[in-house]
Amino acid sequence: MKKTILTLTAVATFFSAKAQQVAFEEYDLNNGMHVILHKDNSAPVVVTSVMYHVGAKDEQPDRTGMAHFFEHLLFEGTKNIKKGDWFKIVSSNGGRNNANTTDDRTYYYEIFPSNNLELGLWMESERLLHPIIKQDGVDTQNEVVKEEKRLRVDNQPYSRFLENVKKHMFKKHPYKGTTIGKMEHLDAATLDEFLAFNKKFYTPNNATLVVAGDIDVKEAKKLIQDYFGRIPKGEEVARNFPKEDPITQQIEAKAYDPNIQIPAIMQAYRTPSMKTKDSRVLDMISSYLSTGRSSVLYKKLVDDKKMALQAGAINLSQEDYGTYILYALPLGKVSLADLTKEIDAEIVKLQNDLISEKDYQKLQNQFENRFVNSNSSVEGIANSLARYNVLYGDTNLINTEIDIFRSITREDIREVARKYLNPNQRLVMEYLPEAKK
Amino acid sequence: MKTKILSFVAILAMVFAVNAQRDLNQQPTPGPAPKIKLGKPEKFKLPNGLQVIMVENHKLPRASASLTIDNKPVFEGDKAGLSSMMGSLLGNGTTSVSKDDFNEKIDYLGANVNFFQSGAFASSLKRYFPEILGLMADGVKNSVFSQEEFDKEVERTLEGLKNNEKNVTAIARRVEDYLTYGKNHPFGEFTTPESVKNITLEDVKNNYNTYYRPNNAYLVIVGDINPKETKKLVTELFGDWKKGTIPAYTMPKATNPETTEINFIDMPNAVQSEIAVVNNIDLTLGDNDYYAALLANNILGGGGTARLFMNLREDKGYTYGSYSRLSQSRYAGTFRATASVRNMVTDSAMVELQKEINKIRYQKVSEEELKNAKAKYVGDFVMDVQKPRTVANFALNIARYNLPNDFYEKYLENINAVTLDDVQNAAIKYFRGDKARVFITGKGIEVLKNLEKTSDYAIKYFDKEGNATTKPEMSLPIPAGVTASTVVDNYFEAIGGKDKVAAVKSVMIVSNAQVQGIELTLTSKQASPNKTSVVVSGMGQTFSKQVFDGSKGYSEAQGRRKELEGKDLEDAQARKSPFEDEAYKAGELVRIEPIDGNNAYVIKYKDTEIFYDVKSGLKVKAVTTAKGPQGEVKVPRTFSDYKEVNGVKFPHKTGVKQGPMDLNFEVKEIKVNEGVTDADFQ
Repeated sequence: MKKTILTLTAVATFFSAKAQQVAFEEYDLNNGMHVILHKDNSAPVVVTSVMYHVGAKDEQPDRTGMAHFFEHLLFEGTKNIKKGDWFKIVSSNGGRNNANTTDDRTYYYEIFPSNNLELGLWMESERLLHPIIKQDGVDTQNEVVKEEKRLRVDNQPYSRFLENVKKHMFKKHPYKGTTIGKMEHLDAATLDEFLAFNKKFYTPNNATLVVAGDIDVKEAKKLIQDYFGRIPKGEEVARNFPKEDPITQQIEAKAYDPNIQIPAIMQAYRTPSMKTKDSRVLDMISSYLSTGRSSVLYKKLVDDKKMALQAGAINLSQEDYGTYILYALPLGKVSLADLTKEIDAEIVKLQNDLISEKDYQKLQNQFENRFVNSNSSVEGIANSLARYNVLYGDTNLINTEIDIFRSITREDIREVARKYLNPNQRLVMEYLPEAKK
Repeated sequence: MKTKILSFVAILAMVFAVNAQRDLNQQPTPGPAPKIKLGKPEKFKLPNGLQVIMVENHKLPRASASLTIDNKPVFEGDKAGLSSMMGSLLGNGTTSVSKDDFNEKIDYLGANVNFFQSGAFASSLKRYFPEILGLMADGVKNSVFSQEEFDKEVERTLEGLKNNEKNVTAIARRVEDYLTYGKNHPFGEFTTPESVKNITLEDVKNNYNTYYRPNNAYLVIVGDINPKETKKLVTELFGDWKKGTIPAYTMPKATNPETTEINFIDMPNAVQSEIAVVNNIDLTLGDNDYYAALLANNILGGGGTARLFMNLREDKGYTYGSYSRLSQSRYAGTFRATASVRNMVTDSAMVELQKEINKIRYQKVSEEELKNAKAKYVGDFVMDVQKPRTVANFALNIARYNLPNDFYEKYLENINAVTLDDVQNAAIKYFRGDKARVFITGKGIEVLKNLEKTSDYAIKYFDKEGNATTKPEMSLPIPAGVTASTVVDNYFEAIGGKDKVAAVKSVMIVSNAQVQGIELTLTSKQASPNKTSVVVSGMGQTFSKQVFDGSKGYSEAQGRRKELEGKDLEDAQARKSPFEDEAYKAGELVRIEPIDGNNAYVIKYKDTEIFYDVKSGLKVKAVTTAKGPQGEVKVPRTFSDYKEVNGVKFPHKTGVKQGPMDLNFEVKEIKVNEGVTDADFQ
């Protein structure tokens, strides 16, 4: 009887996974631009988006922040879109738009009622083919970006931790800097440098276009050919990032933040690219340690022992490397060293023992739930399609990544904890109130 | 035959395509508007008052349940934070399930269940939904509160409060609400360490038993459900949730000030000022002018195309974003226009915010602006209306606000009917530029000087708890070991080093400035130990001359010569040349004061205060207080654009402000150890 129930559950899992296959079609234009189409006529919405394979890691070491700055510049206007009109055109046609930049890529998108598909395509083609990059735009956006940094980093509690972690984690690879970059680098950047950056990275062959939502595929293809087929191919981007030497001795560091009162302890490990299975295993370990109130770190440090105000794990997965961060904020007079000890004990358990069958099944359930929810909006689907294509080189991971998670065993979890989460491979950083300096 | 027809269609299509050749440089026009259909939710009400709204959608194998307990907010006074603490303690086990089992079950199913003071939320895969909804119902009806969990929550709340003490944004909002709604208003009060310590476990239990009741509650279920089965399930799970008696409470009315006021909150760690222009409004969803108010706000500050954003960000670069927001409420609504800006431009940004608010009050917006704002609402409506969550929210709003059933069917019609006059009337009524509270939370020492100059209104000062206080200290403490002497030595180091400075025996500087179209030339000659000569000339004549040869001297203006005597003579004798700064070592280091955003050491020497930049070490300013016929006048001189001459840096720009005159001298020539003879000082 028990067996039958199990089989039924297995069948149900199978069906639910099938039921939400994201159907898509992909092809290249002659100029090398990659195109992905996803049709979903359930609501009159269409997303047009372009992901460029350029991010903060592609910057010159003395010009950090350029990629993100550039994202701002590419809203300044084009040959056929007057300066200041970009946002107006979008909203006066009932749409929304934005863009964002990471260390690995830059993503621009519009969401329109579906009768404005052509407008979305036209705007993205204008951005690529006809951008107008002028000194006055550079000057304004220079101030705006500085305000963005003050708003998001300088004036916010705990917001400098990533900058400080990365500084120690990476010595050679450009991940050592932050996406927003150094303001003095932006001040020093010349107009010619911006133009050169555009020429090098903003080419159709370095971009993936996604059109998703309420479309007629044939019509969409025709429009895409008209608007993007005309754009000349650029030179191939050569990527040759330096490799990091392994960390062989625990790095100890301190960082200070004027906006906090309660310190934090952080342990950071350098891990492999997000494309690897190991990186996904680390995702699972993060969930095991800190997703939900029954997770190991929350339950032990926050709930039972009452040593921490907060505790958790972050797997910061990136294209070339990952950074795996464990953190905790002490409650009351608990010392940072004691928190480290408690967290370490849990890692050691992971390395020595297999997690329980029940915890393993819990992880599988959590990841399936995550998978179902990840494709719940057409905007989210467009973003995932672009990301899987540009950064992972496999668009269909949108449907198959769950299989990788399903294939992870309890032994894999132990193996990965043994391989990457050792004291001599990490940074231990005390993140302290500035007043304590 | 079939192939023939196909090829005919293909040719037709091609012809069509050629005819429809588009101009790729032209902005495309939209196609026909997409058809939208408003979804219909299923609704029912339980005898205990709980109203249930269900929206069926099978796109993904998941479902969610959202419970809203729509009680009127209550003032908590010396126990502020009580209901929020009750909310945090919910779900820590029930009468039949222990806390650990409860949490374990939810996590095991990969699901989420959260509880809060005004409701709960649960979501999971379809196949676990009945179980998850059961856990949620159990937590709603049967939560237990233990002393242990309570004590822990108190400690965590206290730590959390402590942690926010330096959070500029959090403090800004707290004081803003406190002053906007008033300290006796549920929206104005805030949790403090004292109020937390006043709360007991018994209070929490009472709060739960009194307010966490189905009387005014709504349960919204969305997703891959069968409404008939779900209705049965909900009835089973929530049918025995007992109705209570919610105590009556009359909320005080929040009022605007008689006239606009500036409220300043000093946060010494701020790198940006949080600016908010706020006034109370009386506006509820469904009011006649609701749509006009929405559109007026959208044009003023609704997003990246609105006036505030275009002005403060895209034109001036003061901020990452500036927005306004109109919060409708059945109890107490507000209008807020906000920006986070760097310290240096705080006063200018405040002025621009006020300017934009007044402009939309006093001038009609353009046809185009109104058309675009409407398009934005239409677009959002079209894109969102078919989402199951939107369908549910619409139904919830209709119920909570007691709106007509066709409210959302008429929504677009009502938006489209708004006229230019309607927008202006709404702006006048709801954006009270004349009766606003302007909140500025920032670093006083860097912000206030300009703010005082710029502001048309009195500035009031408040501490982090919203109590009236006095203006913050406008100077910083001097670090140990720093004296007038070290500051001056540091200056010499900054301009080239002690040795190089010592090697300079004489200097001649010629600079020019324009005044009322006349070019003035200032020739300054200095030689050690204290010889000096300053000649101002223009249009071929000498306007003034001051000479000192080391023991005696004179000044000459418009042909009248006056020998130096008394105090003036003493001052001249005490002077050091060619670098007067040497003498300032005998002065007093009085304070650190920011100038244009950079901190400067201030040395007081005789009648002059001299400012040296803390970071660069360079002299940036000197202010001399002179006695004039109308009392004391301050004569500031500024120094900038330092460039090297013979290995020593000299300022190549000097500004002098005397009364209404602003003179900006630019150096034309500097000679070191040449071009100066003793004859120059006769």
